[in-house]
Amino acid sequence: MVLGKTQSSARDGVSLELRRGALVLAVLTQLHGEEYGWSLRKLLVERGLEIDEGTLSPLLRRLESQGHLRSRWKVEDGRPRRYYRISPQGEALERELAAEWRALADVIERLIG
Amino acid sequence: MEIIERYVHEIGNRLPRRARADVEAELRSLLADAVEERARASGRPADDALTAEVLREFGAPREVAARYAGEPRCLIGPRLYPAYVLTLEIAAIAIAAVFVLLVVLRLTTLSGGGAASGIVAVFRAGGHALHGAIFNLGLLTLIFAIVERVQVRREETGRAWDPATLPPVNDPDRISVVNKIFSTYAIVLLVILFNFFPQWIGFWAWSDGRWSGLPVLLPSFSRHLPLLNLWWAAAFALDLGVLLQGRWRTATRWAELAVGALGIVVLLEIVLGPPVFLFDAAAKSVLAVPLLIAAIKTCLRLYRLLARPSGEASQR
Repeated sequence: MVLGKTQSSARDGVSLELRRGALVLAVLTQLHGEEYGWSLRKLLVERGLEIDEGTLSPLLRRLESQGHLRSRWKVEDGRPRRYYRISPQGEALERELAAEWRALADVIERLIG
Repeated sequence: MEIIERYVHEIGNRLPRRARADVEAELRSLLADAVEERARASGRPADDALTAEVLREFGAPREVAARYAGEPRCLIGPRLYPAYVLTLEIAAIAIAAVFVLLVVLRLTTLSGGGAASGIVAVFRAGGHALHGAIFNLGLLTLIFAIVERVQVRREETGRAWDPATLPPVNDPDRISVVNKIFSTYAIVLLVILFNFFPQWIGFWAWSDGRWSGLPVLLPSFSRHLPLLNLWWAAAFALDLGVLLQGRWRTATRWAELAVGALGIVVLLEIVLGPPVFLFDAAAKSVLAVPLLIAAIKTCLRLYRLLARPSGEASQR
């Protein structure tokens, strides 16, 4: 089926909303080791989660300002990079979100049939 | 690379100063990694064309800055915005009416000069109307912005909403935001007028190409200013308090009674005191009318307050 631009945009928007809700959990699960913005994006893409380059970095900063991540600057290959790692508070949030996700996935599976 | 620097700078300009340097440094690093990765994956050189591709995918600077800026901030939020627009519309109509009146006055009192004088008169009236518009619309915007800030802060620290606090359908304590804003605005204008431009209060006429006025306030009127300013300050604080609470409550009704009583004291002092107006007896006779109305309204308010059932919803 060929979708018109409006239908395609609307569908993409709804799809984006669905994925956006899972993004925080996805990011937290990959930050038990230190990662910087680009390496984290690569990890997520390799595991099947596409994320806009311009979306990940603001999200990481927001999670850090909320206390779920810690960061530090490191210079590697002559380039300063900001490395993020999950904090104890972030680990607690990850456990809660993971439990919510599993419960939600069960419900949605039943609804979809 | 120069294009990255321009991009980062453009985003940084849209960010709060305290976060700017840190975000810019992070963006430079992120973009350098993205360009390097794209060059490696595509086998192309990391030139301006490839960099521009990467920047295009990142997004326009205003969009990227908005993501870093977090929650949108506004001067006047969505809840007050309709009342704000209505208030501005009413004020704009009033200013337009004043402009038309000024033009008619100037044109009908022109003494010769032909069409050129008429055009100059219209432009001068337009200039006065524009000054008035900028001042008045700016003052109204400031009042709304203050109410917005304080209301948002109250809601952030307030209690969870309770259905028991829903007011009745015909609620005598409901307020009109537009009326209250205009009342607040009128008080500010009165304070400015009586304290800084008392000579403007009087009879004015346009003739021989200029305004001539006969101020009605004598210099001795200034002895009443401290008490007048106190009354207006109390009325202003009451209006703001009622605006922030969103409706009248028993405490603000009692405050309204007190402010009304203060107003009666102030007006009585003026009416019964020594001469302060140009045609003092006539002016005080006129002033006696609002004084009587204020006294009657205050008595009615007192009666309603005493007849108010105790433990009502407005005590919440």
